[in-house]
Amino acid sequence: MPMPPSILLLLPALALSAVVFLAPFLWLASTSFRTQAEGSLLLADGFSIHNYARLLADPFFLEVLLRTLAYSIVTTAISLVVALPVARFIVTRAGRLKGILLALMLVPLVSGALLPSLGMLHLMGPLGVVNGAARLLGLPTVKLLGTPAGILIGLVQSFLPLMVLPLVNTLARLPGDLEQAAASLGASAAATWRRVILPLATPGIVAGSVLVFCATFTSFVTPQVLGQGHIATFGTVAYQQAGQVLDWPFASALAMVALAMIGLLQAAIVIGSRLSRRQEARQ
Amino acid sequence: MIPRLWRWLHTVWTGLAYVVVLAPIIVLILASFDDSNFFRFPPQRLSFRWFEAAAISREYQSALGISSLVALLSAAIAVVTGSLAAYVLVRHRPRGARIIEAILLAPLVLPLIVWAIALMQIYSALSLSGTLTGLVLAHTVITLPYAVRIMHATFERIDPQLEAAAVSLGARPFDVARRVVIPLALPGLLTSAAFSLLVSFNDVIVSALIAGGRWMTFPVRLYSQLRGQGVDPTTLAIGAGIIAIILLAAVVGELTMKWSRQV
Repeated sequence: MPMPPSILLLLPALALSAVVFLAPFLWLASTSFRTQAEGSLLLADGFSIHNYARLLADPFFLEVLLRTLAYSIVTTAISLVVALPVARFIVTRAGRLKGILLALMLVPLVSGALLPSLGMLHLMGPLGVVNGAARLLGLPTVKLLGTPAGILIGLVQSFLPLMVLPLVNTLARLPGDLEQAAASLGASAAATWRRVILPLATPGIVAGSVLVFCATFTSFVTPQVLGQGHIATFGTVAYQQAGQVLDWPFASALAMVALAMIGLLQAAIVIGSRLSRRQEARQ
Repeated sequence: MIPRLWRWLHTVWTGLAYVVVLAPIIVLILASFDDSNFFRFPPQRLSFRWFEAAAISREYQSALGISSLVALLSAAIAVVTGSLAAYVLVRHRPRGARIIEAILLAPLVLPLIVWAIALMQIYSALSLSGTLTGLVLAHTVITLPYAVRIMHATFERIDPQLEAAAVSLGARPFDVARRVVIPLALPGLLTSAAFSLLVSFNDVIVSALIAGGRWMTFPVRLYSQLRGQGVDPTTLAIGAGIIAIILLAAVVGELTMKWSRQV
């Protein structure tokens, strides 16, 4: 039987994704078990867990992974707390401004990482807007560049839209008179949020958290530029190992461990939300 | 009284969130008009000198040219292949549609830096590193999910009966595509092209690892300059120009084609 032509139309995109995107992950898994001959980029024969052993024995790389994990969790949490009211505002109160507010939320998403980081340098630098304003007001200056606080601000700025947009999509599907209904049944505003809006917004919260977590964990430009090279994260170290040190087997092992951490945390987010929902249903 | 205070706080909170999101973008545009070598706040004197410097900089012109070429080529391939795939997924619902969709959308949820480290090694083994082909292929793959998702949403909104009507009136498949489907899908096609262009144009990490010296894109040049010598006012002017275009595109795109619902 000849293959129906419709399936042929699928092939170009599928082949591109499978060969150029997915296959390299298999390559990565296999290289992570190889080693390089001394002073050469060529892979030596045989497989070993050398790279993983080295990674686990080295406090520097462990610290980098844990620090990146901490940044990712904090950024996801801050984004969620900031984004929930923003998304609710866009859905229920923005009125005619809704289109503009959504458009402005798209800007960081489509402007890449580099240009906003360049703007952040001008905001946070010693002569930048924040410290310039502080000087004008006679306040003490703050050091943001090269500090974790500066990096976190940059990460939240870049990835907040990844939380806001899924939340807007979820909240927009809720009936508009939910709050009045809850209030008429005697619920306070806080109780309405906790018992009604948050549980119904769970799909958006999960989608946003997964996206923000992955984006933060693997971000490379923002920690490098705003950390001024002083604060190593997974992205900066992976780039260094792969692009500059050229130790590809080790870079591969590092990438595999990060991939596992990202996968585990994303699974935890999804499973956690299901469990809390089940508990909610039981109450 | 309490509800009004609550409403007011809600508005202020939302306003502050927008300040955080937009501040670096606005500051970048403002800073590019400042006369001094390094931006200081408050700004010193208005000037267009960095825009003039940007306009004559050979190095940045070539980097912008390379970025535009790569973005155009990869967006064209991504939109064509992505649209074909999305059409089949929506209209024919083949077996395993969900798995196929997951494969096509994988670059959105799998870490690009991890992938780029692997791709760099494969390209090196295949002598594709530092070539235009290698760069365009890589950019096509990272822009493809946007094309697939946007075209999926687009085709779902087009009534299949219109195509059936054209066929019953004797139109051949090619004519149905050219005279019915493509005109109806045009807004989606434009949106996915715009997103593919923006994603490719702004990519740093994939290009930084695989571009090589000959095909250095604008963000990679900007990044290496930033690491080496710090902020260069000329890049600031170019960056401000690019950001202004993106800002405009986002507003126009959202108001005319409802971008936020498709991505």
